[in-house]
Parts: sequence; C-alpha cells; structure tokens
Amino acid sequence: MPGFDLDRRRALGVLGAAAATTALAGGTARAQAPVQMISHRFPALEFYAEKMRGAVEGVEVNTQLMPFDKANELATIGLSSKADTLDIVYANDTTVHKYAKNGWLMPLDDLWAKFSDEYDLADFPERALAPYRYEGKLYCVPHNVNVMLFFYRRDLFQEAGKQPPATMAEYVELAKEFNTPMRAGTIKCLKPIDATMNEVHWYLNTIGDGWFDQDWRPVFNSENGVKAIEALKEVTGYAQRGYATAANDECTLALQQDLAAMGLQWASRTAAMDDPTKSRVVDLIDWAAAPGGHTRTATDGYAISAFTKQDPELLFRILATSSSAANMREGAAMLVPPRDSVLRDPELVKQFRQYPGILAALETAVPTPPLPEFYEAGEFITRRILQAVAGEMEVKAALDAAAAETTQLLESRGYYR
Amino acid sequence: MQTQRGLWLFLVPSGLVISLVLLYPLGYAIYLSFFNYYLGGQPPTFIGFGNYVALFGDERFWGSIGKTVLIVAGAVGLEFVLGLAVAFGLYKLTFGVKPLNLLMFLPHIVTPVVAALFLRWIFTGRWGLLDAIIMSFNIFPPDWLGTPGWARFTVILADAWQFTPFMILVLYAGLNTVDNSQIESAQMDGAGNWTILTKIMVPAIKPLILFVLAIRIMDAFRFFDQIYVLTAGGPGTATETLTMYTYALAFRLLEIGKASALGVMTLLLSALTIGLLILVLYRRDKGAF
Repeated sequence: MPGFDLDRRRALGVLGAAAATTALAGGTARAQAPVQMISHRFPALEFYAEKMRGAVEGVEVNTQLMPFDKANELATIGLSSKADTLDIVYANDTTVHKYAKNGWLMPLDDLWAKFSDEYDLADFPERALAPYRYEGKLYCVPHNVNVMLFFYRRDLFQEAGKQPPATMAEYVELAKEFNTPMRAGTIKCLKPIDATMNEVHWYLNTIGDGWFDQDWRPVFNSENGVKAIEALKEVTGYAQRGYATAANDECTLALQQDLAAMGLQWASRTAAMDDPTKSRVVDLIDWAAAPGGHTRTATDGYAISAFTKQDPELLFRILATSSSAANMREGAAMLVPPRDSVLRDPELVKQFRQYPGILAALETAVPTPPLPEFYEAGEFITRRILQAVAGEMEVKAALDAAAAETTQLLESRGYYR
Repeated sequence: MQTQRGLWLFLVPSGLVISLVLLYPLGYAIYLSFFNYYLGGQPPTFIGFGNYVALFGDERFWGSIGKTVLIVAGAVGLEFVLGLAVAFGLYKLTFGVKPLNLLMFLPHIVTPVVAALFLRWIFTGRWGLLDAIIMSFNIFPPDWLGTPGWARFTVILADAWQFTPFMILVLYAGLNTVDNSQIESAQMDGAGNWTILTKIMVPAIKPLILFVLAIRIMDAFRFFDQIYVLTAGGPGTATETLTMYTYALAFRLLEIGKASALGVMTLLLSALTIGLLILVLYRRDKGAF
C-alpha cells in the first residue's frame, strides 16, 4: 500500500501545518480575548449592549443579558470568587454598593479624569454620578436613568370622565372602578424580589415612612408602613391574574395586550406600548407621575471588575463610547439619558410623548436606600410582605417579623455597633 | 484468585469519576456546613454545628420542610397512580404499544427548565393556553399560579406531566416480567383486571415499585427548576420548598455555610424517607433488603 502511506504522510503533513497555524492563531486570539460583559436585560440595555459590541474596532465584546435577579446572582458568584471571567459588570444604584463594599469593582476616578475631555464626561451631572459613589469613589459609568411612572389608558379615562389619580386613595378607587373580569383595574408586579421591592418602595414612601431610619433601623413596620402594605394588599384585589408571579415583562405584556387599565411601570417600557408589532394599545396609553409621587428611580450603568485581566483603559473606552451623547440621543425612545445635554434637549421632549411624564416622575422619585445589603434585607422583607398579601399572615405581624429578621441580618453584618 | 484480585482495577476509573463528581462536592458541602461563610465578606469561621442549630430554630426551615413533603407526596403519589394505570393499560393493549410508549415518554426528555417555561405559558393568567381555552367557554378559571392552593396543585401537576412517563416506562417493563401462569390461573378463577393488578401484579413487582418510588422521591426532594420558573416559591411562601430555601440562602443571602447545612439536611431527610419506605413496604419480609 505505498499509495496509502504517501496519502497518510501528506495527511499528517497537512494536519501538522494546520495544528501549527491554529497554535499561532490561538496565540494571537489569546492576546485579544473577548471582553466579557454581563447585564440585566431590557430594551435600553439591549441597545447599549449592541453599542458596546462595536465600541472599539477589533475588540470583541461578548454580551450576556438576562433578567435582573439572574444577572445579580451570576455577578455575585463570579466576583465573590475573584474570577477573571467577567470584565464589565452591570450595576444599578443598589447593587453597586454591595459590589464596591466587597472590593469587587475597580474605582474609576483616575480613568474618569484621564478621559474626561475625550468623551465629554463633564456632561454627566453629579446627580447622575452620586448613586455610583461608594465612600467617595466612583464605580460606574451611567448609561440610563430609569424611573417608575404611572401608565394609564387615556381612552378609558376619557370615556369614564376621569383624570389620572393624584393620591393613592384615588388610585385605589379607580382600580376598583376599572376592574372587570376581562380587564384588570391595575397591574401589579409582585414576583420576588426585585419587582416586589419596586412596588413596595412606592407604597412605603407615599403612605409609609420609608424603609429605614438614619441608623439603618427598620421603619417599614411603623403604623404608616402597615397602612401602606394594607393598601397594597387591597389593590391586589383589582390586579391582573398572575400578579404574584409577574415581573416587569409580564406587567408590560398585560398593558400591551389590553388586560389592565393602568399601573406603575418603568420609563424604559413606555416605547413598547406604541410598538405596533407587540401592542394592541398603540397611542392609547399616556404617562404621568404616580399618585403621591415617590416611586423608584434607578440608575443603570456599567462597572469594571476588580479582577479583570483586560486593559482597564480599553474597558473604560468601551463604556465611555457606548454612553456617548450620540448613542443616548439615538436610543432616547427607550431610555432616559443621564447626560444633561441630551436629557434637557427640548427637541427630545417634543419628539417623544412620554418625556413630559418621565420628567414629572423624576421630580418626586426617590432611589432605594444606599445600603449594600439592601437586596439581602429585601429577601426577608418581600417574603413577609408577600405572605401578608397572600393572606398567610396579618400585615402588622408580617412587617414586624421582617423588621426583626432585617435587624438580625444587619447586626450580623456589623451594623448598630 | 490472582485474576479475581486484579478485577478491582476495573472499578478504579468509575470510582475516580464518582469521587470527583459526587464524593468530593458532598464532602466539601459537609465541610462548609460547619463554617460561618458569608460570600460577601470576611473569611469563613468554624462554628461546628452552629448552622444546623440555627436551622432547627428557624421557622422558615420547618415551613419549607412541610411544603416539600406535601409537594413531594402529591407529585410522586400522582405519578405512581397514573403511571401504574397507564402501564397496566399498555400491558393490556395488543397493538401500538411501542409508538404510544415513545410518544408518552417525550415530556421526560425535555430539560426541566424548558418544560417549566412551556408550562408557564400554559398556566399563566389570562393569555396562557389553558386560560384562553377555558375562557372561550365564558368560564373564568382559578388563578393557577397566583393563589396558594392552586399554585401548589399546579407545580404538582407540572412535575407529574414531566415524570409520569418515567413511572410508566419502568412499571410497564415490570408488569411484563410477571409470570403469565399466575395471571392465567387467576383469570380461570374469575379474577377481574383490578384483582389481577392489585393482588398479583403489584405484589410481584414490589422491589421494582420500591426502586422507582425511591428514585422519584430522591428526585422530587431536589425539585427546583419548575418551581423557580413557575412560581418562584410564591405566592407568599406557598411553594417554597427546601431547595428554594437553599437557593435563597446561597444566592440571595450569600450564606454559603448555612445553605450547605441545609443541603446536607435535605439529603438526610430524603434518605430517611426512603428508609421509612423500605421499612413500610418490607416490614413483613425481613431480609428482603
């Protein structure tokens, strides 16, 4: 079989050459390993992920987007193990404190100063940066300012001769009035934990006394706090079916599909209402500040892992490029730009009909407490509140239990000493 | 004898794999369960049985045990009854058994989390498939995932949808091993299907029943994917099982030591349940196991 031997030698030669080429190419590929980014997912962040992928020529950015709870959990697992598998990490005004407190993020102050002129970073006002500071250091590049505002069906309100509610009591009455078997009076998103905390934040800050006092002692179980959660419980009687397992996606869908008359939802979901491919209520929904105000405002941004093996300047360039004024202007339909030059642009307010409502909501909205353990405490608080809403416990008993558990948690984390 | 002694070498590869993927993680979990290990902060500190003591005094732990037992008993019980009925039906069938068996096995090969996503779109309120069908008859069904009782029922149903095919397959194979002469004798004595099934076939395949129940109970104690996707433990705490609580401890509260202790206790609980099952099924047949 001389022919076979020859063929085999040739084949081995080709394979050897291929292996050598692969090794060489592999060496190059290792030098330019893709940047790994993990993020929460909603339309504005999907838009920014796309911008990051093309931010720096020749640099591949692998973007992994998922629901908030999953992104937070995966980031926590990756960062706590000091793994270099994540380079760019999504953080909001709450999670950034946890990540920064544990030393998982790289402070950005030096990079911010170095690239300030090149990327016009002075355009970010301090109010957009403040949520991302921990012990005076900056950890994130802001990409979006989100705020929860009141969505309502203009046509239904007009037919009923009603105005958007100004107080929580009016809201409860309207929810009751609009509630029918085919269309719920209001949406409620009470999937644990994040969605429930958003709803509860509104009630606690409007009717109750907020979450904590200055010393991080719980006040959500005060007399007013009990009234707040009782009001929440009452409204769930007029909410869409499945509210107990609904998060933002399900609530958005309920509004889009004409299954609810009104409710609280994020500004980043406003554009979806007018998307004719997904919505049955195009141009029928209007927006206003929520009754009583004090809904949640949150910032969405991106940080650099303290354990990255990538060049921090390269990563910062990706973040600064993706959050340019031009990108924010392009994506203005689905996000609230943190840059002053874009947010205050009168043309945008004219162009996008949701902007007046968003700006009104921003006037009274409040962020969640800057407590690094807020989501951990939220595990106890939302669980007890959901027990109260489901009728497993009395509201007062549930809130007292949550307060005791939260106090115990914070004590174990070194508070109150 | 030399050959016999050399045979143990064949066990080495599988022994190594089992040690690597099973014994090492189990040992590490037991080791971690003796530490106060908070993922977000200080280095772990040894606290002995502190995590176990804390769990015994934790109302949430006992609550989740109660819900786990309820859901496991409901799901495995339903799967067994349905599985046995369908397996007996297949046994009696004279044609089309293979394609039917294959079709019925399909839900079992779907990844649990994907199955849960399908089921979520079936059970979800208002625009879910089930609601849409029922409401087309002007009937307003219950909130399958939004009320505590129905949510428990729905997760049991979801588990049964996916794992009854496994029961059918194993029990059908078992029924086919029963000695035909016994069945024929019973038929000649005038025994009906029910009598043949309960008095002859079921006792004949008791070891197999024990096997399949033990497998399913072990599995059901780890029931997580479907609950996570369908109800996330809610509404309230209606479907918060031990695995959901373990998940919350590990990934939301970052209490790795306590979560490991809960994992170890879940393992012990499932072993205890299976031990009790063996005791009950074989209490008259000493030495059977």
